[in-house]
Amino acid sequence: MLNEVGKIIAHFPNSLLAIILTNVILIAGFVFGKLLLYKFENKVKFMSLFTVFISVVMVAYFISIIWFSLSNLYNGNAVYAAMFPIFLFLPFIIGHFASYEKIQYYTNVQILTLVISLLLAFSFI
Amino acid sequence: MAESLDFEFKHESCKRAVLLFHGMTGSPFEMKKLGKALFEADFDVFCYCLPGHGTSPISIKTVRWEDWYIDSTSHYRALSKAYDEVYLGGLCMGAVLALAIASEYSDVKGILSLSTTLFLDGWTIPWYNFLMPMGLHTILRYYYSFPEREPYGLKNEVLRKKIAALQKKNTVALDNYPMSCIYELLKMSRAAQKNMYKVKSPVLLMHAKEDDLTSPKSAEFVYKNISSNIREYIELENSYHLVVMDNERDFVFAKCIEFLNKISQYAPREVALC
Repeated sequence: MLNEVGKIIAHFPNSLLAIILTNVILIAGFVFGKLLLYKFENKVKFMSLFTVFISVVMVAYFISIIWFSLSNLYNGNAVYAAMFPIFLFLPFIIGHFASYEKIQYYTNVQILTLVISLLLAFSFI
Repeated sequence: MAESLDFEFKHESCKRAVLLFHGMTGSPFEMKKLGKALFEADFDVFCYCLPGHGTSPISIKTVRWEDWYIDSTSHYRALSKAYDEVYLGGLCMGAVLALAIASEYSDVKGILSLSTTLFLDGWTIPWYNFLMPMGLHTILRYYYSFPEREPYGLKNEVLRKKIAALQKKNTVALDNYPMSCIYELLKMSRAAQKNMYKVKSPVLLMHAKEDDLTSPKSAEFVYKNISSNIREYIELENSYHLVVMDNERDFVFAKCIEFLNKISQYAPREVALC
């Protein structure tokens, strides 16, 4: 069974794998942040390291989106090539409107956009 | 930080006042010694906690730079009705605030701009600073706090230990800079930079050469871009960011008093003649 899954994954383009991987880590990270933000708020060092980690993954996520879009453009999949770059801007748009009082709500919106981009990535398969 | 740290030092029938602004995540405590020195030099001195400061660590995350600006200008307007001469003075973010107010109110008599923080480019800024835009412009800014670390803005090691102990208790300042607060500071800095040319009041800039939080680039930017006829820039050799508490604080106080007396109509006669 695992071998079968491995064989299927081996056929995925690397850019798609990168999007899926970074997406899953980001979703897990934001869910963790949302659920445990208040518990760890006074542990400044932990929260700093956690946020730096998420930032690094977010950079990787952006790079993988650009990579995926360019490779789709090269292969003639104009729809995917045009659709994915939207997800480059969404975290900044959400960030622009976010406030501390509504952080839970905006974190949910952020998670939702990540889930949508993950589903879109899966639809490519 | 429940106890109010605001202070007002007043003489009877004084005609000149200095309104001081503390730094980001700080409190009027850090301005108290400068306040006392100015009071002894015949100025009435006022310093109030900026919105979001001096209450709880949470409230600083909900504050906007416009709140700081509106609150400070209301204090300035109240003082300008009561005094013939009103001077502004600030440390770090307080200096940016003073310059922002002076760009709108041309009747500000003079500005003491200490460790002006327009750019966060000091030597204690962590190596992962290049990720800052990612933290600032996404929801991550409400998760991240930049931990206050050695040297706590102080070159003086004895003082550093005392301040570190006080900061751990969150009694006089927070032991971290929430990213959301940095975001608001940088937004205010951008607004202040845009209007810097409107500043026509005399300005004294003092900045430590080895400032750990913000390099002298900020002070140089102000010096080059203001329109004031009277402007002075002094670079400090033996201090870090908290110049009003560090090794050269007495020199800083003396220079501030000398500068204000030089531009004041109500300066003691022997001082004015100098």
